[in-house]
Amino acid sequence: MMLLPILLALRAAGADAEVVARLQRRDPRALAELYDRYGRMAYALILRVVRDAGIAEDLVQETFLRVWNRVQAFDAQKGAIGPWLLAVARNRAIDYLRSTGGRERNTVEFEATDHPALHIDIEPGILASDKARKVKAALEKLAAHQRQVIELAYFEGLSQSEMAERMGQPLGTVKTWVRTALKNLRDELSAAAVTA
Amino acid sequence: MNCSELRDHYELYAFGVADEPERSEIREHLDRGCEVCTMEMKQAREMAALLGGTATPAAPSPKLRGRILASVGAEERHFGWAPFLAAATVLSLCATVYFVGRERDFAAEANILREQSRRQTIELTRLNEAFAILNGPDTTVTSFGQSQPKPKGRVFCNPALGVLLIASNLPPAPSGKAYEMWVISKAGQAVRAGMFQAEADGTAMHIERRTLDMKTTGAVAVTLENEGGVDQPTNTPLIVAPVALQ
Repeated sequence: MMLLPILLALRAAGADAEVVARLQRRDPRALAELYDRYGRMAYALILRVVRDAGIAEDLVQETFLRVWNRVQAFDAQKGAIGPWLLAVARNRAIDYLRSTGGRERNTVEFEATDHPALHIDIEPGILASDKARKVKAALEKLAAHQRQVIELAYFEGLSQSEMAERMGQPLGTVKTWVRTALKNLRDELSAAAVTA
Repeated sequence: MNCSELRDHYELYAFGVADEPERSEIREHLDRGCEVCTMEMKQAREMAALLGGTATPAAPSPKLRGRILASVGAEERHFGWAPFLAAATVLSLCATVYFVGRERDFAAEANILREQSRRQTIELTRLNEAFAILNGPDTTVTSFGQSQPKPKGRVFCNPALGVLLIASNLPPAPSGKAYEMWVISKAGQAVRAGMFQAEADGTAMHIERRTLDMKTTGAVAVTLENEGGVDQPTNTPLIVAPVALQ
């Protein structure tokens, strides 16, 4: 039973590499397969950020188009297409939030988070792995204020300073919450890695 | 800053939300190939990817897939039932036409065979009747026309089975006409004994099943009459064969 998640993850990773190779050959059917594999996940992530189904669909479309246009820079052998696609989806969604909220942002730094080259050497099939379930469970176990700061950072793209301002809390307090929350998540991730 | 001081900021950097000065410090460590920071950043990016999968599951509209494919110039192929139904309909029609045609052919062929069979049965029956008369111990035979070019043949008479006429050199009857055989008594009374036609080669075989009183029967004759038949001969007989006494 312990081997099953690993086998599933390896299978997903092999299939992803094949899809990436076909995307790089400009095979539209590969994009359809990529959508079938990650479309719902990307949509759920974007919807969580923008909270509007119509806008979320537009942003999912932008996400896949961006992946299609930039896939040549992606390393099909080392890269993990799922994490990269989710990074692109998240950035599209937070970009939208910032553009409508009049918030300034460090565009250069933020854009760098979805560069294809950054998503190499990530565990193959990680999104279908046991780690994904463990992190989700760990997130739900966090104290409310700890979960809130993680969600503000990840789903709304707020820095600790922005969080402090949003929450009306001292920056030091927010930093403590963030540090504790991340440590808990990291510990869960490490435990999952050891178990696997 | 050293790597341990940056420990709590790798995930925030991976999320793209690290504050200064930690953001610049991490970038500097990565740019110079710091192994610790590189390893930590790999794990931080994994964390970012995993958090991306924690959103509440939701499904976009089914049309979104087609929109995305269309945006890269690929049209989705819709394999609905319509093409299959159309193909099935065409095939069914072809099969129906084919089998109806075949059935019609078979039916026509069967009719021909049935007709042939019927004729052969009739012919066989006639031959059986002819053989019965020919082999009958009471049958008498009379030749006719031996001294004239046409027609000629034999008449076989059996008191229980009737008369068998076998002729040759009998010209085909003109349109609307047919040959009629007569049994003529010794007193000169002619009794109808059936209509017949000659074959194209001039041969004819005619059987009249009836009982014959050989003592009072004088001859068998054939005249050419209207094909509906007449009660009494209206023409000079083409054949006259006296019935021989046994």
